[in-house]
Amino acid sequence: MPAPASSIPAVTVENLTKVFKAGLGKAPFTAVSNLSLTVNDGEVYGLIGPNGCGKSTTMKAILGLVTPTSGRTSVFGKPSTQVESRRDVGFLPENPYFYKHLNGMETLLFYGRLCSMKGAELKDRAKEMLALTGLEDAADRRVSGYSKGMLQRLGLAQALLHQPRLVVLDEPTAGVDPAGSRKIRDLILGFREQGITVLVTSHLLEQMQEVCDRIGIMGHGQMVREGRLDDLIAVENETELVLSDASPELLAEIRALIESKGSGARLVRSGHPRTTLEKLFLEVADK
Amino acid sequence: MTLPFSIPRIWTLATATVTQLLRMKIMAFLLVFSVIVVAAGFAFPVMNPEQQLKFLKDVSFGALQLFSVVIAVCATALLLPRDLEDRTLYTILSKPVPRFEYLLGKLLGVLILIGAGLLLMDIAFSAVLWLREKLVLAQSVAALKAEGTATAESIAQVEAFVGKQGLTWNLHLGVVAIFFKAAVITALTLMISCFASSTLFTIVISFLITIAGHGQGLIREYFLTGHAGWFKKLLSALLAVVTPDMGVFDIVDNVINGELVTLAALGFMAAIASAYLVGYSVVSHLLFVEKEL
Amino acid sequence: MKRRLQALVVLLILGAAKLPLEETATQHFRTTGLLSAPLSLSLRENLSQMGFAASLGGLRSLVATITYLRAYREWENVNWAKVDGLLQLTTSLQPMYSNYWDEASWHMAYNAASYYENDEKVNAFVREKLAKEHVQRGIAILLEGLRYLPDDVRLWNSLAEIYERRSKEPRQAAVAYLQVYRLTGNNRYARFAAYQYVQTTDPELWKKAYELLRAAYEKKSQRTPSLIENLKTLEERLNIPLMKRIPDPRPKIENATIEVKPGR
Repeated sequence: MPAPASSIPAVTVENLTKVFKAGLGKAPFTAVSNLSLTVNDGEVYGLIGPNGCGKSTTMKAILGLVTPTSGRTSVFGKPSTQVESRRDVGFLPENPYFYKHLNGMETLLFYGRLCSMKGAELKDRAKEMLALTGLEDAADRRVSGYSKGMLQRLGLAQALLHQPRLVVLDEPTAGVDPAGSRKIRDLILGFREQGITVLVTSHLLEQMQEVCDRIGIMGHGQMVREGRLDDLIAVENETELVLSDASPELLAEIRALIESKGSGARLVRSGHPRTTLEKLFLEVADK
Repeated sequence: MTLPFSIPRIWTLATATVTQLLRMKIMAFLLVFSVIVVAAGFAFPVMNPEQQLKFLKDVSFGALQLFSVVIAVCATALLLPRDLEDRTLYTILSKPVPRFEYLLGKLLGVLILIGAGLLLMDIAFSAVLWLREKLVLAQSVAALKAEGTATAESIAQVEAFVGKQGLTWNLHLGVVAIFFKAAVITALTLMISCFASSTLFTIVISFLITIAGHGQGLIREYFLTGHAGWFKKLLSALLAVVTPDMGVFDIVDNVINGELVTLAALGFMAAIASAYLVGYSVVSHLLFVEKEL
Repeated sequence: MKRRLQALVVLLILGAAKLPLEETATQHFRTTGLLSAPLSLSLRENLSQMGFAASLGGLRSLVATITYLRAYREWENVNWAKVDGLLQLTTSLQPMYSNYWDEASWHMAYNAASYYENDEKVNAFVREKLAKEHVQRGIAILLEGLRYLPDDVRLWNSLAEIYERRSKEPRQAAVAYLQVYRLTGNNRYARFAAYQYVQTTDPELWKKAYELLRAAYEKKSQRTPSLIENLKTLEERLNIPLMKRIPDPRPKIENATIEVKPGR
């Protein structure tokens, strides 16, 4: 049973503005302008938008890596400017990079110690995370020899190492094949079940659709639309019916029914629904 | 509830820095040093014994100074830019690690590396010097015997004389002075890398300030007693204030000659080095705490 | 921007605060001998740029060794002016190292002087003049060295020897030997001083010599042949009453070995 969601939101962003001062002769660049959003405890929040819309800057502000020009951000009530706010956060950066000279296990131990973990507890937890991300065999190899996918998994492992209440994922599926992508999707769903809050950005919109509770759409540094996923994407006035093994006669009857008893309803389209390449890929991969 | 700073965290960062630098094969210079020392110890047999020992000491200490300064500047200069470029810094700072702990960890890491390196080089150099000293002593006693003046008194005299030129505890204190100088330069370089835009820039500026620091004594005197106009005096005053006085740690020359390093001398050097370490670290923190990453 | 200003302020405060500390430390080190006097800018002309920079950079000892080696090379080339110049440079870099002063004066007073004494390319008058000049140069070098190291036994001893053997100035030699005696307490040097006094023409100095040697005579272990010989000479010169004179030395009988040749 997941812990009951507390009333303190996991993330609050209030009127965040970030202006980057440029060098001499160049105009300052406003990355984020008067942005506000809230991520409730226990939900999966997706932040999407085109490249350069300010997603990364917003995330960095939440993590305290960037100081806002104005406005505030907080994590579980603690301001992001305080180091303490990061105790409950696990961060998977885009294209995670680690010290090349360490191996997988040493990397996890290093980050664990930075979170004030130590001793046997740290070692056990590190082994657990390596198992979870499928990196046990590579644990004693230097990170310099890891593939992109392995780096991504290691990034996930270090983000979860200290059992955070909030997980921030920046493009978690970038460069990962559909099978790995699916695993990550399942992982995120698993977080939700455990009551861990997730803030995720991705360009794989289909996936976001599958996992998120709420969505924020950004553009040019501002929040364009925000709300519950279902509310956002429901094309409210359309209904979908998918039939299998329906005879042509049945289809003709249904068309006729719509025309006669429709009261304004109209058939938009009919035909064979398409499967997706992803589903075909997975059918092959599972064999 | 955590303390405002955590020693285990700083230690973790320090050891990570040491491992990083070690695995960059930075210790290859130890080998180069050993070769230099051995060559210096047994070259120029034409010189008289006293000169030979002095030559060995001169070359070894010169190499120690050079290596420690070069490592202090170059190793430190690449730490921050590398972490920034690789974005490992983001992952580290996304943990509950205050920025100043990160800086302290880096500083401590380089200091540990230099300290250990100096220790190993000191051992190598001491071994060669001890060997040379024994050889020189044997040669001198043999010469006495050949002359027929090998009394107990004269042998004791020669032993005392050669001993003073050879390996003494005092020489190790000279190595401590070298460490203090390298520590100050490390802190200086870290501070500069906090606002510099590239590794090369940091290295160049740090070397320039280090060089200026060596001439500080001259600059100070020029400022205090020179007959220049007010502008030149102002400039030299500024230089004197801004650059560290490296000359204070240059006692090695006279230590080689046999001057004793007193406790007071050690105290002075330690106090000055500490003042710089603390001061530069504070400035580094101020420059880094709100730096855009 | 605010932080950068704060940083600058801290840097300036640190700079201002450390100046007196550094100055005090430097002075303390100079008085205790751990730091030498600052290099004069005139050395800049004589050293290469790198050499000067290295000397400032705490590598004075190494630079001095290098100039010394160069002097050695010039000695092999018999280039006395360069030897003198390089050793002068060496002693400027490390004035507290007595060996350099000693060798510099040795090269001048002995090697250079002898070279000129035997230089057949010039006439006798010039030869003598040059030789004398170089002996005096050797003396001058030692005197300068003694300014830095007034209690250095080696330098006083070398000075005494030059006065004794090269410039033939017994009075000066005696003074130098007495310094060695003062510093070492070794009676040999007191005796040497006395022998030099004997070489002078000053009756006052002969009296001093007599006192010294007579006192030495009382200690049986110091009755070397030179002692007895000089005492006898002084007794004659000073007309010491017979009662007080030392007994004549018995003729030395070498270890007699009686060879017994096998009889035919």
